[in-house]
Amino acid sequence: MSTDRGIVATGLYIPRRRLDSEAIETAWNTSPAVSQAAVPTADEDAITMAVEAARDALERAAMDTAAVSHFAVGTTTPPLEEEALAPRIVEALGLGDPRLFSATQSTVVGADVLLAAAEADGPALAVVADAPQSEPAEIGQRIGAGAAAFLFDADGAVVLRDVATCSRDAPGLRFRERASEDVQELAITTYERDTTRALVSGAIEALDGDPNAVRSVALHQPTPDIPHRIARALPFDGETVDCGSVVDRIGDAGAATPAIGLLSALDACDVGETTIAGFFGSGSSAVALLFESRRTIERGVAAALGDGVSVSYPDALRERGTLNETEVSGGGAHVSLPSWQRTIPQRYRLIAGRCPNCGSSAFPPEGACPGCHDRVNFQPFELPSTGEIVAVTVIGQGGAPPEFIEQQRRDGSFAVAIVEITTDSDSVRLPGQLTNCDPTEPEVGDSVTPTFRRIYEVEGVTRYGLKFAPE
Amino acid sequence: MPDAYVIGAGQSDFGSFPGESYRSLFDAAFDEAVDSVDTDFDTEQIDEAFLGTLGVGGRQLGLSGPAVTEHLGLHGLPTTRVENACAASGYALRHAVTAVRAGMADIALAGGYEVMTDMSSDHTKWWLGVSGETEWERLSGTTFAGVYAQMASAYLREFEATVEDLSRVAVKNHQNGAKNPHAQLGFECTLEDAMNAPEVAAPLNLYHCCPTTDGASAVLIANEAVARELTDTQIRVAGAGAASGRIGLFQRDSLTSIPASKSAAERAYEEAGIDPDDLDFAEVHDCFAIAELLAYEDLGLCDRGDAARLLREGATEADGDLPVNTSGGLKSKGHPIGATGTGQVVEAFAQLRGEAHVPVENARVGLTHNVGGSGGGVTVHVFEREDGGAT
Repeated sequence: MSTDRGIVATGLYIPRRRLDSEAIETAWNTSPAVSQAAVPTADEDAITMAVEAARDALERAAMDTAAVSHFAVGTTTPPLEEEALAPRIVEALGLGDPRLFSATQSTVVGADVLLAAAEADGPALAVVADAPQSEPAEIGQRIGAGAAAFLFDADGAVVLRDVATCSRDAPGLRFRERASEDVQELAITTYERDTTRALVSGAIEALDGDPNAVRSVALHQPTPDIPHRIARALPFDGETVDCGSVVDRIGDAGAATPAIGLLSALDACDVGETTIAGFFGSGSSAVALLFESRRTIERGVAAALGDGVSVSYPDALRERGTLNETEVSGGGAHVSLPSWQRTIPQRYRLIAGRCPNCGSSAFPPEGACPGCHDRVNFQPFELPSTGEIVAVTVIGQGGAPPEFIEQQRRDGSFAVAIVEITTDSDSVRLPGQLTNCDPTEPEVGDSVTPTFRRIYEVEGVTRYGLKFAPE
Repeated sequence: MPDAYVIGAGQSDFGSFPGESYRSLFDAAFDEAVDSVDTDFDTEQIDEAFLGTLGVGGRQLGLSGPAVTEHLGLHGLPTTRVENACAASGYALRHAVTAVRAGMADIALAGGYEVMTDMSSDHTKWWLGVSGETEWERLSGTTFAGVYAQMASAYLREFEATVEDLSRVAVKNHQNGAKNPHAQLGFECTLEDAMNAPEVAAPLNLYHCCPTTDGASAVLIANEAVARELTDTQIRVAGAGAASGRIGLFQRDSLTSIPASKSAAERAYEEAGIDPDDLDFAEVHDCFAIAELLAYEDLGLCDRGDAARLLREGATEADGDLPVNTSGGLKSKGHPIGATGTGQVVEAFAQLRGEAHVPVENARVGLTHNVGGSGGGVTVHVFEREDGGAT
């Protein structure tokens, strides 16, 4: 590991919809563990959130995406139990063909992907994204969602100075059975608190560094009290712990909570100061990472925590699919998987084509040129990421094509627009669903930008692609 | 080039008929068409049949054309099924006209059939979306109503037109359809009804959308000699225009006109040697209210952006200068996809013979305009009564 290799940029994604504790309290007549939780929409999952956080980091670094040589992703909620998830994220980001690493099955994976990226050569991107599910009664009252991304390269702003681990055979704190989407806890309070504190503090105590130089810590945080309970065994005051605690505002986002906590801790860390991240996963194992700031790196987590719109409790349940999930059978107008797969560069990254004869832009770049009607080999180019609505409608509840029935039941009516994107020389139009907005609000003339989402699922395979969100 | 003539036209009732099959519906249309011919003739004289259907609703049946003609007893008749979505039978008519003009057939049968109302709502949604651009447009989550609603959103922004104008289309067409015994929604509605209906796809509400329909229609096309032998009044196919366009709205240059309609109309007018001013009536493809306004402009019935004014002034009402959709249109009469194009000819034939339920006085020249999907395929036919006007 070179001495100056480190984090050069970070990225963050938190779903826009938030469930407030008052809403849960009204529904359950009990006070939930967190004051607010981020609710992923029906078209969001660990993959889409990973893409958004990673894109945020890449844009902040202003790095050529093709230069990224390593990509690591960690999540406890891969959309499928078996099948690689990294290639889809890599394609959506346009990363070229980096070496891949993925980690799952434990909330400790944030540390695994950070280490993988820190120890790689060349630009390496680590993303942690999670959207846990659980029964509404218990953990379900605090589950959240989010993603954090860390881009490592030479001349890092934040350098990883030390790593320490601590593990023991201590099961049952948090687990998910095969073929279940629901995280469980046995809630044996003292056993859980003792195990967590012992392993996390044990790992942190094993780090080689001056505890007095530590400005902020981001600790395992399934609930807001746990980081403070862990810190009782450590020489850190409450403020140092609060710097890296976000669970009270985004909910328990599984592996992503401490990773987003680390972004928050880094926001507080000045040059020469250090930050500690203490990851933990039931089983149990803990990993502690010691970072030193050579330059400040600010992602503005506090401001992002304050964004978002509140949703009602029934809306949150519907959005997460707790209510009213449905199986949709195949039928007419079926788009086969191979024909979908052929157009992935268009669906993920708006790769259009330019006619070598007349210079017209074509999207999708296939068939005869829309300008000169000649059959040509289009020269690929990426469309700009801002477009304008030129026509728009709202597909009301019950009116969606069958591929979108489940999404509509969960997410409600949606707007569908024709978006015009202006290129250097002309413009192209494409149809796009609008997301992240009240569907009745977008109007002709509004600006929109693409965002990576689940489009629909057919025959067990989720098709991803771009929707558009108001700027 | 020899001329082609309409010697007979008929349709089944349009509506929801769970007790009928596509074959039995076509039987009814065919019988009415044969009965409408002035002189009895042997149906074995029919040389060729072209029948339009999207796919018999969502069934995607093969050989439904021969199934229909064999069921009728037209044993052995060469039958071709034509698929061009909602313009299927407009194109079937075009083929029949072509066959007669080419001299391959003395009498050709054109028609269409569709059964749309007997499947589960989920199943219906699957196949109703097959006639648009399926890989991008539909996968943005839109529907047919959605695509026309997008056109409406752009049109209402670009031109002097309002949602109330869309509702006026419904009021006018229902007023006509209420008098058509074959109409599916044969009742009148008020502007208030048509303004306060549930929203389907903003800005379109239920009254801005045609229904789904079971039904069939049939038209008999013959050469001049046969027409003179079998009919008292000759109705000539004076112009047959057709054109294709990109099937996705996003792929087309204009969001507020249908280029294929324009091209098809220009070709039909040129062949007929007429201007839009010469028309006495028109049956246009009003699958959604906005489509009727676009049709006024694309067919040259008014200037660009002037459709709402034309409508408000009453020019296209039954007693106006140029009545449009005296049959009730797709809105009130119904829209059994494959049967719609030749269904329009049933009205044109009746008007030119002075037999329409909403008669246009002294009608001599009429037009039918049939659009597939949101504009991927269009036919326009001009029909002319040869003796100078209905009496």
